[in-house]
Amino acid sequence: MTVIKGLARAEQIYQDREKRAKELKAEGKKIAGYLCCYPPLEIMTSLGYMPIRIMGEMDEPLTEADTYLPTVMCAFYRSVLDVAMKGRYDYLDAFIGAHACDGAERVSYVWRSYLKSPCSFYLDIPHTNHAAAIEFFKKQLFYLKEELEKTAGKKATAAMIKEAVTLHNKQRSLVRQLYELNKQDPPLVSGSEMLQVMIAIMCIPPEEGNVLLEEVIEEVKGRAEGPKKKKGRILIWGSLIDNIAFTKLIEDCGLNIVIDDTAIGTRSFWIDVDETEDPFDGLAIRYLDKIVCPRTFRDTKNTRMEDLDNRFSYLKKMIKDWNVNGVYMNIIRNCDIHGYEISEVRDYFEEMGLPVLVIEQDYSTTALEPLRTRFQAFAESIN
Amino acid sequence: MIFAGIDIGSTITKVVIKQEEEIRAIIIQPTGAEHRRLAHEVIKKALNNADVTFDQIDFIVATGYGRINVPFADAQVSEITCHMRGVSWLFPNVRTVIDIGGQDCKGIKVVNGKIRNFIMNDKCAAGTGRFLEVISETLGLKLEDIGEISLRSNDPAGISKTCTIFAEQEILLRLSEGVSIEDILAGLHKALAGRIYSMVGKIKIEKDVVITGGGAKNIGLCKYLEKRIGFSMLTPPEPLITGALGASIIAQEMVTKAGEEKLAHIKKERKLEAVTFFDEAD
Repeated sequence: MTVIKGLARAEQIYQDREKRAKELKAEGKKIAGYLCCYPPLEIMTSLGYMPIRIMGEMDEPLTEADTYLPTVMCAFYRSVLDVAMKGRYDYLDAFIGAHACDGAERVSYVWRSYLKSPCSFYLDIPHTNHAAAIEFFKKQLFYLKEELEKTAGKKATAAMIKEAVTLHNKQRSLVRQLYELNKQDPPLVSGSEMLQVMIAIMCIPPEEGNVLLEEVIEEVKGRAEGPKKKKGRILIWGSLIDNIAFTKLIEDCGLNIVIDDTAIGTRSFWIDVDETEDPFDGLAIRYLDKIVCPRTFRDTKNTRMEDLDNRFSYLKKMIKDWNVNGVYMNIIRNCDIHGYEISEVRDYFEEMGLPVLVIEQDYSTTALEPLRTRFQAFAESIN
Repeated sequence: MIFAGIDIGSTITKVVIKQEEEIRAIIIQPTGAEHRRLAHEVIKKALNNADVTFDQIDFIVATGYGRINVPFADAQVSEITCHMRGVSWLFPNVRTVIDIGGQDCKGIKVVNGKIRNFIMNDKCAAGTGRFLEVISETLGLKLEDIGEISLRSNDPAGISKTCTIFAEQEILLRLSEGVSIEDILAGLHKALAGRIYSMVGKIKIEKDVVITGGGAKNIGLCKYLEKRIGFSMLTPPEPLITGALGASIIAQEMVTKAGEEKLAHIKKERKLEAVTFFDEAD
């Protein structure tokens, strides 16, 4: 029997995202589903929970969620609740909601009232990165640990959490290595392959994810049949894309996706957790301050340019290091946190001389085709 | 050398046959539901008008919503790029193109003959030609007359809704209040202009502004749009064909890039026939 590994394995996991979690559950492992990139995976891992990222489904029409959520809410979180209401996440032993944004907050509360996961925790995340906010967040992380301990049947010691930090930092380092391979032209990994790998490692235990990442790196390093050279080398900025129908559409139009700043991509993996003496210090700083998502407000600086540089200089570095010549800003309809940030980030990119395409999309595969003309025209405008 | 640009829009299909710097033929006709079978018929008509044979055409570029249904096209280019090229050829100083099509509305920012930015509405009939069609149907008037009639108004009716469906209801309400048709039409054109202005305003409207598409033929809409913008716009002699014209210009450019050998191969392989769909095989 041949063992499926590397990119093929990633595709297999991507296609059936809950399969591995359910297999492990049958073997007695506990599974914790979490929203967004803010709940620390290390706490779940240290207590023997397998973390799985909760996602929506672009292929599934919204039929249940709108009874519970207003339609002015972002289409992604409405979809998350919709598929959850239809039973997709019924097998979870723990649900970790989060006040990442107001959509996630509302879904967390509705989930707790109607979906009855055996353990249900709501992570209260402050919207600033002040010292007091980090202190508050650290306390919340402690509550998360205590809540998970009740159902885990064991206590997480500092040593156990530190061990999990090392494991997850290894994963982050492997993800960065994989993205490194896209600095060359053409890139070694297509945007669709990268998305499959990112989703796959969010749906299997970290140890298995690390093996998968090592396999993928090995496989693509020596590949001849990678992505073709294209005129556009683009960065995707935005909340998230969780379906390759979207990345394929972009890539069909003559654009290679070489790097991203999205929540199912670099944003979840780019920065390590510092190995502090009290592991909760490292976790609180990394997750609240070091993850850069527009959901967290940062102090403004003296001038607008200083302010933009303070918040987005990491993007300038990505643009330079990955030799990017165009930016696609992906906004899921009614995502206010990313929507409000468009003009600032767009100006920042445009000042670097980059063409920018902004699309507010409906988070539905049936609504994708009309976007083709925009991506095609955008690709034609990159020269 | 001879080039063809074919623009299959949602409502109207346009063809331009161009020989060097001269336009040899223009075809404008409704697209219709059967447009997938239309491309080869319409090009035959254009060839006839231009008095050239299919084999004489050196390069064909297709654009518009139906661009994928032109099997004999040598390349497909998005309508945004084609409009920009067509308009730039006619008006070299253009900075902003406003295209009001049958079912979408676009704003294109042009800098040195290149696209700097663009914006597009194709999710909603408000701000498109479809809005004007629905309005004229509701009032029992001809589409081509409503712009002219709106100019007779001295007191445009307040139309608060730009949603096509709700605007229709609002018209009926104003009619029942005894507001004149001129004033209602003036109010509607004003509302439509406001909608287009705020959409295109996102890419910053700068001189020269060129208006194209069916909307450019509506004098009432142009008047209210110019009022909002604050200066006058330019209109091509035939505002419907800028996409097809741009496609023919791009065709000319592609020929130069392709080289003779590749071109001979392209011409040999190209067949003038309707689209075939595998699910229709008998």
